[in-house]
Amino acid sequence: MTTIGHFSLLIAFALSLYIIIAYWVAAKSENEYLKASCENSVYALTGLIVLSSAALFYAFVNHDFSIAYVAHYSNRDLSLFYTISAFWAGQKGSLLLWSLVLSFFSSIVSIQNRHKNRELIPYVMIVLHVILAFFIFLMNFSTNPFEKSFETPQDGSGLNPMLQNPAMMFHPPTLYLGYVGFSVPFAFAMAALITGKLSDVWIRTTRKWTILSWFFLGMGNLLGAQWAYVELGWGGYWAWDPVENASFMPWLVGTAYLHSVMIQEKKDMLKVWNMALILLTFTLTIFGTFITRSGLIQSVHAFGETTLGYYFLYFLFVTIAFSTYYVIKRLPLLRSNNELDSFVSRESSFLFNNLLLVGIAFATFWGTLFPLISEAVKGVKITVGPPFYNQVNVPIGLALLFLMGLCPLISWRKATLANLKKNFLLPFSTAAIAGAALYPSVGEGHFMAWLTFTFSIFVLLTIVVEFYRGTRARSQTTGETPFTSFFTLIAKNKRRYGGHIIHIGVVLMFIGIAGSSSYVTEVQQTVKKGESISIKNYKLTYQGLNEARPNPSQISVIANLNVEKNGKLVWEAHPQRDFYPGTRQQPSSEVDIRSTLKEDLYVILAAHDDNAATFKILINPLAKWLWIGGVILGFGTLICMWPDMREKQRMMAKYSTEKTSKKQEVPV
Amino acid sequence: MTKKQVKFTTGSLIIVATVFYLIYTGVSQTSVYFFTVSELINKKDTIYDEGVRVNGTVVPGSIDQDKSNLKVNFEITDSKKNLLVHYEGIIPDMFKENIDVVVEGTVDQKGNLNANTLLTACPSKYEAEKKELTNKI
Repeated sequence: MTTIGHFSLLIAFALSLYIIIAYWVAAKSENEYLKASCENSVYALTGLIVLSSAALFYAFVNHDFSIAYVAHYSNRDLSLFYTISAFWAGQKGSLLLWSLVLSFFSSIVSIQNRHKNRELIPYVMIVLHVILAFFIFLMNFSTNPFEKSFETPQDGSGLNPMLQNPAMMFHPPTLYLGYVGFSVPFAFAMAALITGKLSDVWIRTTRKWTILSWFFLGMGNLLGAQWAYVELGWGGYWAWDPVENASFMPWLVGTAYLHSVMIQEKKDMLKVWNMALILLTFTLTIFGTFITRSGLIQSVHAFGETTLGYYFLYFLFVTIAFSTYYVIKRLPLLRSNNELDSFVSRESSFLFNNLLLVGIAFATFWGTLFPLISEAVKGVKITVGPPFYNQVNVPIGLALLFLMGLCPLISWRKATLANLKKNFLLPFSTAAIAGAALYPSVGEGHFMAWLTFTFSIFVLLTIVVEFYRGTRARSQTTGETPFTSFFTLIAKNKRRYGGHIIHIGVVLMFIGIAGSSSYVTEVQQTVKKGESISIKNYKLTYQGLNEARPNPSQISVIANLNVEKNGKLVWEAHPQRDFYPGTRQQPSSEVDIRSTLKEDLYVILAAHDDNAATFKILINPLAKWLWIGGVILGFGTLICMWPDMREKQRMMAKYSTEKTSKKQEVPV
Repeated sequence: MTKKQVKFTTGSLIIVATVFYLIYTGVSQTSVYFFTVSELINKKDTIYDEGVRVNGTVVPGSIDQDKSNLKVNFEITDSKKNLLVHYEGIIPDMFKENIDVVVEGTVDQKGNLNANTLLTACPSKYEAEKKELTNKI
């Protein structure tokens, strides 16, 4: 099996080179037979990568410790669930997973475009396969997942217990789906640049790819945060660590892109800017991989200083060089045909939203690279931590939040004063009153958090007003009941209302972040059996310890605490510590969390002996809203993604007219 | 430039300028020195009471842990010099001899570090590779 895996990787490398060259020749010579051969090779390549992945998977499930990778990341005690997740627990497996996803995406793109975009596709495929070839090259010649162990051990070293968490099963693949997904719009953008076909076809074709990748990248980050929250036991979920920043930056720029392409679709503007954003998004995914793998930047995630990072650096340079070259070459074709109508218009609010998003990304980039920059310039390594990011990104984030509420109130093209007044007055005044009412209880000493809540109310109100207006207008014109109108409204305008739902999710996340980062209460105390710890209106009474042995290599020490809230018993907390005798693994803490909409009670067992135990207890207000916001965001994305017949017909109509009268500008 | 373009350029410039201003003040107010153990010891007279961040490896046998598990004294090294660290707070699960840690705090008069943050290398997914590498060196 391993030999099969090994060899299919080798053949895959050769095949990927063939696809690159043959597609190039086919595109230049218009040779349809060669194109067909290329297309089949794309599917064959996917088959080969599936075969390699299956081989590695088979090795994991059958505990084939003759493969070094399997021996490093699993053992016989590991449950099937985590044996599967061990596939991508390490570097080599993640490369294979990355290639697997990318080759699948290439095949899907190929199938989707069998009868359209025929001029673009060869170049799209070339770009995708250059990326793919790079990954397969790494696996063949640098870090081979099928490398043999020096001697086959009796049992593997096992999976780090901290990685044995459901979020870790899904966090890496989700993140990769996002990372890899952005290759598709990137490839289309490059193809558009290379061929000079720079209408918005490439943007429309990849719209869903973009949304999907954006969604997965965001969810990947959120799952990582969730994992840190329940597993790392420090009570937080985001530390502005370089590794986190690495996946946050492409998400931010991707978000900017997602918004600004709407301007190009509607007004045929910002072409250079959109091009720059998608190229930057992809570049940042590679950059992120580079900084996490090179050990260049000190991170708590110490990924290890492997030489692999430098391959990514070279790849990064090549990407930047090629994309910059083509953007400059095509600059004359990228000129806008229109200009912005008015300073107060929806277009301009999109423009400012873009600047803010890119601003956050830039601040994050600067902070992440600051130790290197200061060392190069001043000769001293100076570093910035979470205070820097909070100080810089919170105000920008707030401006963004405010704009999010403002945007739907402003009409396209040009907003009149009357129009603004009509839309603005109600949400704004209500939010102002609510904000003023909130101030005495939450505002003191937490100005930024208070501002976040006030803005959030404002944004939510504007969205509610949007839904209300749409529903009312619809039910008046069609005579449907408001209830039916509400749903048909969404169904008929999936992009618009899906977008609003995503915004609701984002606002809830803002609320969760503001609450849980600003109003944390924390107590650390050692207690004997029967003694209590008080925190706010909670009282936790220590009842003693239990021991459990969930599997032969693990001993769990579980503390029991009765939790009273306002004198009433509401919960029993069981924070625990897991020990792994006989292995090299260090003990790990399992926190216990009582999560309500109002606040999370977060209990950590820090230490214990026969007669006493030390606990750290935190109250994180509103933390749950972060995860709820994530779920709503996912729901909104689903609505945006849902196939839309009307949209399709609109597109067909548009492009068939374009074909017949090429020079005519189609009014939107 | 038309009047409209002036407006847009001004609006955009204000945003860009604000972002740069925030970054500039953020860096000057929150940055801390990031040293290796030797660098810190060489400079310790000049940086007394300033925030520093140091990385090093925990020296075997140097860990002196309080029973409550909330206080620990230990030494870190960059294999040239050693630094004594006093730390108070939750001790990360991963903390043990011979691992890489990052500590943040201030240097006291004796030249020891009073740390308020102790970060251990995360459950690195890519730990195995790193071990191999360090073994080779």
